[in-house]
Amino acid sequence: MTAVSVQATPADAAECARILADASRDHRTVRVAGGMTKSYIGESGDTDDELRTARLGGIVDHVPADLTVTVAGGTRIADLAAALARAGQFLPLDPPHAEAATIGGVIAANSNGFWRARYGSVRDLLIGTRIALADGTVVRAGGRVVKNVAGYDLNKLITGSFGTLGVIVEATFKVLPIPTASDGVLASFARGTDAFAAADRIARAAARAEAIVVERAARDDWRLLVTARGEAAAVARAVTDARREVKVRGGSAAQLAGELAELRELPARASDGALVRVAVLVAAQTAFADTAARLESFATLAADAASGVVRVHLHGDDASVIRDAEALLLAARMVGGGGRVERRAERLRGRLSVSPTRSTGAVLMRRIKDAFDPAGILEPGRSPA
Amino acid sequence: MRGLAQLLGPSKVLGARADLLMYEYDGAVDTATPDAVVLPESTADVSALARYCHEHAVPIVPRGAGTGLSGGAIPVEGGVVVSFARMARIIEIDAANMRAVVQPGVINLHLSTAAAPHGLHFVPDPSSQKACTLGGNVAENSGGPHTLSYGVTTNHVTGLEIVLSDGEVVRLGGKAVEDEGYDLVGTFVGSEGTLGLVTEITVKLVPLPEDKRTLMAAFETMDAASETVSAIIAAGIVPSAIEMMDQLATEAVEAAVHAGYPLDAGGILLVEVDGPRDGLDDVRQRIESICREHGARSIRIAATALERERLWAGRKGAFAAMGRLSPDYYVQDGVIPRTRLPEILRVVKAAGERHHLRVANVFHAGDGNLHPLILFDLRDGPEELERAKAAGLEILTACVEAGGSLTGEHGIGMEKNCYMPLQFAAPDLAAMRRIKDAFDPAGLMNPGKVFPTPSRCREFALPAAR
Repeated sequence: MTAVSVQATPADAAECARILADASRDHRTVRVAGGMTKSYIGESGDTDDELRTARLGGIVDHVPADLTVTVAGGTRIADLAAALARAGQFLPLDPPHAEAATIGGVIAANSNGFWRARYGSVRDLLIGTRIALADGTVVRAGGRVVKNVAGYDLNKLITGSFGTLGVIVEATFKVLPIPTASDGVLASFARGTDAFAAADRIARAAARAEAIVVERAARDDWRLLVTARGEAAAVARAVTDARREVKVRGGSAAQLAGELAELRELPARASDGALVRVAVLVAAQTAFADTAARLESFATLAADAASGVVRVHLHGDDASVIRDAEALLLAARMVGGGGRVERRAERLRGRLSVSPTRSTGAVLMRRIKDAFDPAGILEPGRSPA
Repeated sequence: MRGLAQLLGPSKVLGARADLLMYEYDGAVDTATPDAVVLPESTADVSALARYCHEHAVPIVPRGAGTGLSGGAIPVEGGVVVSFARMARIIEIDAANMRAVVQPGVINLHLSTAAAPHGLHFVPDPSSQKACTLGGNVAENSGGPHTLSYGVTTNHVTGLEIVLSDGEVVRLGGKAVEDEGYDLVGTFVGSEGTLGLVTEITVKLVPLPEDKRTLMAAFETMDAASETVSAIIAAGIVPSAIEMMDQLATEAVEAAVHAGYPLDAGGILLVEVDGPRDGLDDVRQRIESICREHGARSIRIAATALERERLWAGRKGAFAAMGRLSPDYYVQDGVIPRTRLPEILRVVKAAGERHHLRVANVFHAGDGNLHPLILFDLRDGPEELERAKAAGLEILTACVEAGGSLTGEHGIGMEKNCYMPLQFAAPDLAAMRRIKDAFDPAGLMNPGKVFPTPSRCREFALPAAR
């Protein structure tokens, strides 16, 4: 953990904004902390102050019939899920760190799980925010309605901004009724190409799966994990179709148990070595995964095969981890994708960069950062520009 | 004008009075004549014309097919209108990655037609989809009836090539599902031509549903139809579309399209569910029983694709059919939480009555996106339009007070920019202004849109809603 001298825990949006305005005036750098589950992402570095969102918690408004919920930024996603479940609804996001992550942190880190191809990612489900800015103002973006094109979409800008533009004090999401039926398939294949080919067919199938994940652990088989939720008949169809696609490609299918939840938490477990996270074209995943599996320090690969987001955990001696991480980022770029080292062992600090490798529009990002945070106080190490 | 012709060649520049007249209107009610019209054929042309305009401080107004409904393509402060009619090529259908790369002038429906042999389509389907362009869809963040469960334009764009007002060409995002850094693609979509010119678009293509069930239910009143919408959602069903129409709209549609809607119904619902064939009839039956429980007096189920198309032709042809009722109409696009439908529809009715104007309603009930069509006759004098606008403002005010929005898919444009303070406080607008200044420091991109302008908005001393 990096050093910080002063902690502040504002009780509301106005106090949060006041703290930022004071920091801007005094040129004190600020780190924004929710559940502290993803502090490994980016070169967060030392800051003068730490602003904790712990007291900005709770459900502000939930209108089940409108399928929307408004929640304070410091609310834990697990607490929100429990409250929604009481009304038979759920927020269709399955980010890692499910126990301790906060809503604000999930938005700021654009933290998604394996459901994004089915329900959309953070940016697709977020319809409104209130944001405390570095100049001490609190602004509202979007609203509580599911369709809204009035003005610029600041919700998109704040999603994935890692606290560099402002502090998310409140958010409104689209929610869904909890599906009545669910089922899953766990398949194994000798070759990655078969696992990804089956995944691709399942992703295009009439009955939409909820998650389609390809996993490879060192020296193991390639595994395909598929879940479906919805109306009973549609779920049965999805599973039947998935099993057929597995069989056609020579895989063997079994019942899925808790494997998906475990795989989702890979970023939480990968504290040693390096965890590389890339987004590539779906058809490029096979080649990328084959490259990854041949690396000396290869440990585990988990691909959200329906959207092309692939994580590779590397571990072993430092030199091979660094070399292999760099090779993977290059491989991603060569197939029209990009990514970053999402997590690295503390001892690799200064030797392996955790900054993104590919970022178009850097000049525009710099101008936007300067416009929202002219004193440069917010998360100085995490600015994308 | 002469400089532009020299720069790009005379075939790409229009300046004759008769030509310019063709570019002074869009699908809404405002008009203004451009100083020149440019028809670029490449990104290089667009970059060159932007550099020229930057040098001479000339406003730049992008234009797709001119079907917009908020005056977004109207050169209200003069300048050059940039028509993308000649940049209308589908560059690539990448079926393996479920993406398409297109030029901005490609017509919305043409993309889905080109993708269909691969079992794919482009989801956003505005009613103008036979004419409107993807560049326009990106500018307005367009929706359509089927965005209820599949999302609007912004949920389907992964990459853009844009030209800034100083001529710089910038690529944002790509084909991958996300890019590192700020989401500038998401920031740009829906910016109504005020941040830059789009020269290339990468979109998601989505597998076509295996099957659909479409049903039309007729109710005694709009209240009964509205309550049915809430009941369907409350039952845990999220249809791909729920559209609603009142009696006046039905009258116009039947006269023009003969979709087979009953003329004596107070309110009509058009509901569609799609997905795997398995279980689809169960869902359709559940919707049917909910409709009956709420007093539906007749229900028609499309038995064939042709019948489905006919039911949809009525809905999609509704705006055009208004000509059967009135020479002019002014359409609003406010959004409300769907549970507030009955109450706000009464406000719509009252606003029409107060201003002695007929109002037809045909809208996306599933996501609370109203489209009151306020009918008027400009031949009775210009004050008729002002009355229609006054009625529209009353409706929008009620939408915003109900926790909604000024616009769900038509944009703010020059039509509602003076109303922005109804929905947004000064700091909210200031934050948007920072984005504007980051993309377009010279302020040349589509001026007079989105933000309230002191010159035109003086008369609207609107109190901030929040």
